[in-house]
Amino acid sequence: MERWSRSVVWIALTAAPALALAKPIAFANGTTVMVEYGADTMKEAQVFYAPQFNFSVGGGHVEFGNEKSPKAERITYARLNYLLHRWNLETAQANLFTWGGAGTATGNGFRGTQIAANAGAQADYETRRVYASLKTDWQRADAFDHRVDTLQLGIAPYKHSYNGLATWFLLQGREYTGGVRRGIERAALVRLFKGGTWVEAGLTTEGRIQAMVMINF
Amino acid sequence: MKTLITVGMALLSLAASTTYAKTIEMNVKGLVCAFCAQGIEKKLRKLPATADIVVSLEDRLVAVALKDGQDIPDAELRKALTDAGYTVATIQRTETPIAEIRSRIKRSKP
Repeated sequence: MERWSRSVVWIALTAAPALALAKPIAFANGTTVMVEYGADTMKEAQVFYAPQFNFSVGGGHVEFGNEKSPKAERITYARLNYLLHRWNLETAQANLFTWGGAGTATGNGFRGTQIAANAGAQADYETRRVYASLKTDWQRADAFDHRVDTLQLGIAPYKHSYNGLATWFLLQGREYTGGVRRGIERAALVRLFKGGTWVEAGLTTEGRIQAMVMINF
Repeated sequence: MKTLITVGMALLSLAASTTYAKTIEMNVKGLVCAFCAQGIEKKLRKLPATADIVVSLEDRLVAVALKDGQDIPDAELRKALTDAGYTVATIQRTETPIAEIRSRIKRSKP
């Protein structure tokens, strides 16, 4: 029974869908490429293709810690992202995404390669002047159990137009479990996007750089 | 003579009923982010009847200029917008040239 339950959980996780802090699903027949450098504690790259507007498939590679750290893991994974619900309002949009997948992991705290599972969810709300998102992303193998929770709150100094440059100022709080970092990591970020290109960069309160580039096509 | 007038009026009526709109204007819900809205243009430009497109976040408007004598069914327009991640509130066919809509949007920018 326990084995059956584990199998159900595994299937549920791998069949559930995912995304980074922007939306993990661009549009039907659209591709999203994302690279993120997370303040010396996390690096991640993802590529997703959306056959339909409500789900995308693809994969990614994430590294926790760094080579000097006593604990560092590298995970390469396949993932399915799913849009649970979208609220298209008159002057706002809100989304609820979930994701799940599986991959392989290596690390300096264990020998060889392990099977890793990943799952997560994201809720976001956006008007032309206000942005808020909450995301949780979980990576697990026998040797580690990482969860990264990220909250972003942003304001736009002006309402961007369809063809113009969008500018956002964001405050971010991020918490890692699994020994990568203690306490909440706080960062201030600037987000710029125009057309299908999105760039985000800033500093943590410890002066570490965080940056992200995303392209939709 | 009466027959000729009747036929003439019928032809005029037929001509009037087959006059095609120049532009389709759609009011779209959820249109707040230009990055996310790129899919709208990609989807609509693929339709053979599309000549040009204007998107305005300010007016929550997506306008499609039609090629001469062509139209796009409402169901196809709704599907394109749904595939792009949005909800169409209203669809209106007008004789307004797309250039005029573009100028109107430029004038209304904050």
